[in-house]
Amino acid sequence: MITGVGVVSSIGLGREAFYAALAEGKSGITPVEGFDAAALGREYAGQVKAFNPKDHLTAAENRRMGRCSQMALAAARMAIEDAGATPETLRGPRTAVVIGTTMGEADVLEDLDHAWIARGPSGVKRAMIPKYGSTLLPIHIARACGAEGLVLTLPAACAAGNYAIGFAADLIRAGRADVVVTGAAEMLQELQFSGFVRLAAMSPLRCQPFDLNRQGLIIGEGAGVVVLESEAHAAKRGAEPLAEIGGHGMTCDAYHITRPHPEATGSTLAVRQAIERSGISPDAIDFVNAHGTGTRANDAAEAKVMRDIFGDRRVPISSMKSMLGHTMGAASAIEAIACVMTLQRGIYPPTIGYETPDPECDLDVVANEARAGRAEVVLNNSLAFGGYNSVIVLAKPFVLPPPHDLTGKAA
Amino acid sequence: MTPRLITGIGFANALGVGGADALFAAMRDAEAPLPSRPLVSFDASKYANVAALEVPDFEPKKWLGDKGLRVLDRLTKLLVVAARVSLADAGLKADGAWTTSAGDRVGICCSNAYGSLEAITELNRVAKLEDARYINPAKFPNTVANSGPGYVSIWEDLRALNVTVSDGNCGGLDAFTCADIFLEAQRADQILTGGGEAMSEALYLAFCKLGALDPTATTAETGATNGVRLGEGAALLCLETARSAEARGARVLARVTGFGTSFVAPEADSSLLTFSREATARAIRSALDDAGVAPADVDVVSSGLCGIEALDRTELSAIDDVLGPDVAVATPKALIGETLGAGGAMGVAVACGWLAGVQPKPVAQGKAPEKVDTVLVTSVGYYGNTSAIVVQRA
Repeated sequence: MITGVGVVSSIGLGREAFYAALAEGKSGITPVEGFDAAALGREYAGQVKAFNPKDHLTAAENRRMGRCSQMALAAARMAIEDAGATPETLRGPRTAVVIGTTMGEADVLEDLDHAWIARGPSGVKRAMIPKYGSTLLPIHIARACGAEGLVLTLPAACAAGNYAIGFAADLIRAGRADVVVTGAAEMLQELQFSGFVRLAAMSPLRCQPFDLNRQGLIIGEGAGVVVLESEAHAAKRGAEPLAEIGGHGMTCDAYHITRPHPEATGSTLAVRQAIERSGISPDAIDFVNAHGTGTRANDAAEAKVMRDIFGDRRVPISSMKSMLGHTMGAASAIEAIACVMTLQRGIYPPTIGYETPDPECDLDVVANEARAGRAEVVLNNSLAFGGYNSVIVLAKPFVLPPPHDLTGKAA
Repeated sequence: MTPRLITGIGFANALGVGGADALFAAMRDAEAPLPSRPLVSFDASKYANVAALEVPDFEPKKWLGDKGLRVLDRLTKLLVVAARVSLADAGLKADGAWTTSAGDRVGICCSNAYGSLEAITELNRVAKLEDARYINPAKFPNTVANSGPGYVSIWEDLRALNVTVSDGNCGGLDAFTCADIFLEAQRADQILTGGGEAMSEALYLAFCKLGALDPTATTAETGATNGVRLGEGAALLCLETARSAEARGARVLARVTGFGTSFVAPEADSSLLTFSREATARAIRSALDDAGVAPADVDVVSSGLCGIEALDRTELSAIDDVLGPDVAVATPKALIGETLGAGGAMGVAVACGWLAGVQPKPVAQGKAPEKVDTVLVTSVGYYGNTSAIVVQRA
């Protein structure tokens, strides 16, 4: 059960600001600050500009971590507070931390590399070295929240958020933890930005998922963290569950390091697994949060998956990447929190900038304005570069047929 | 935990490249500790200390052919080779084709601590010295830590889950706990489980600057060193359920029967690096409990002792706390070097050799029995994280 959510995003910090921005269809895509993006050929990103680490972290914490960890820890603190928990109540070996990312502390490594390149080995500051490593994201959070169980990073490219949350749910179902503070974080950084430009994947101005004239993705940054706990643990401490993590489908295309499989067999299977492991049929899905990156190949493949799963039924679908850009490792974690909002408030967030339907993506896209609708069970797609498919069902508490073992079969 | 079976090994490390039999033979023949060799994967002439244990004469072409290697980084090549060998060793593939299993039921769960370091550093160098617009897009995917296992899936047609885990030195063992859960959830029938880490100048420089490298470049007889000898390599073990191994008549090398992990934060707010005796003891106790094994039943510890004095002292004290001062503690890193995210998996692979009758060496403490039935594998992280698993005779 998810009992608390925390988010650092380009459209708002914290649950309420984020929910309000989603419902308004606010765009967080702005000109990049901090490096000369224009010189790289693109100028826009979903950069988090309102985040001041000092507002969320102590001076000592800020000193020992880079921006990615700062955002992750801030989101974790918000989630723990939202869950009505404290480090004292969470302290112990039955609390774990599982965090997804693609590049983790990218700014720390950039500083180290630049010092090395400019001044040779003697230019590298010894004290900076231990601050590098994606391993550190959950370590910093565990220190702050009292977790003494598994501390794990799952680097899974742009599916990392779902990987982390899905594995955290498995960890609880397997009886290996009572509480898992889980989610993902990613920071915007120059090398990554130029890499996406070089892959010719970046749109110049906007990200328009499923639109006929879509021109690619816009990259972004942020963090989304949730407190996930067993039903029994939540009940014991009187916490109100916000949503339940249902089945998790995981497959690998094993096809190409950046292109999706043209037949989308792996991603279709991942969706099917997520639904079957929830003990439901596709008919039960009310809304789909799309991976929807805005690239030609991804959106077409995802549309095919939706047709294969739902047939003629047009399930409302939306991509928040139109508002936030693609926050990469963090994307599906932030989007999971948007799914929690949908379940709690019956609001489907819009795909903004949606102008011209694409016959190849013949979907019921929630265009430009949020839509009210039934929201008992939703699907969160994450179909990443490298063919990493990770799809999760989220539902209102106690809606999915109980109880399930790890395979999704009735226990 | 429900015991999981190890039915194949693929390794590439200082002892060579190959499957279970090659590893066991190399362990038997190796001089312990293994002498350091000059570094070849980068120009190390500007460093005073070049004690290291690279994969000797690593030739990916020999295993993978000529095509498609250009864009792969060193870690990816090590992993693909280890995966290919492991699949054959486990009897899942013969002459490159699936035998009893199919790709959609085989997955990979693989740790690395600094997997993308070499790729990011190389591209940062191009961006800084030339122009960011010149970075090679074909090499950009290597900047994510999961790209190595991603390529393994593509090369070897592994279409069930593909999971990269990162928990510093402990990731190589955590990969086993993750794979156990994935098997329980029936997400795959077989999972290549383990880790990889590649030698790179950036990694070497980091350890050098931290003053962690062995200044003498030599080792004492016990295998205890005056600092770390950086190693590299990949170890991927085929993990599966007893039912699946039985159904396909697989050769069983060992059983993984228990897992434990623990994290204890440093007391000082300003500290980042810490080695925790309490966390290590707790991880060992939970692994033994999980396996239903009494401390007295542990024949030998496949330890993480690495030559950092404070870390080694912490680990030995924790082992002493739980298993007493007489238990045999072996030091696989004296043969393989410090392979970080792969270290735990190397420790498990070596443990399979001891179960198969290879005498543990070198041993830093105690005396290993002639016949080894139960091995505890430990990994101590740099940040208060620790993991342990129990590996037993099949």
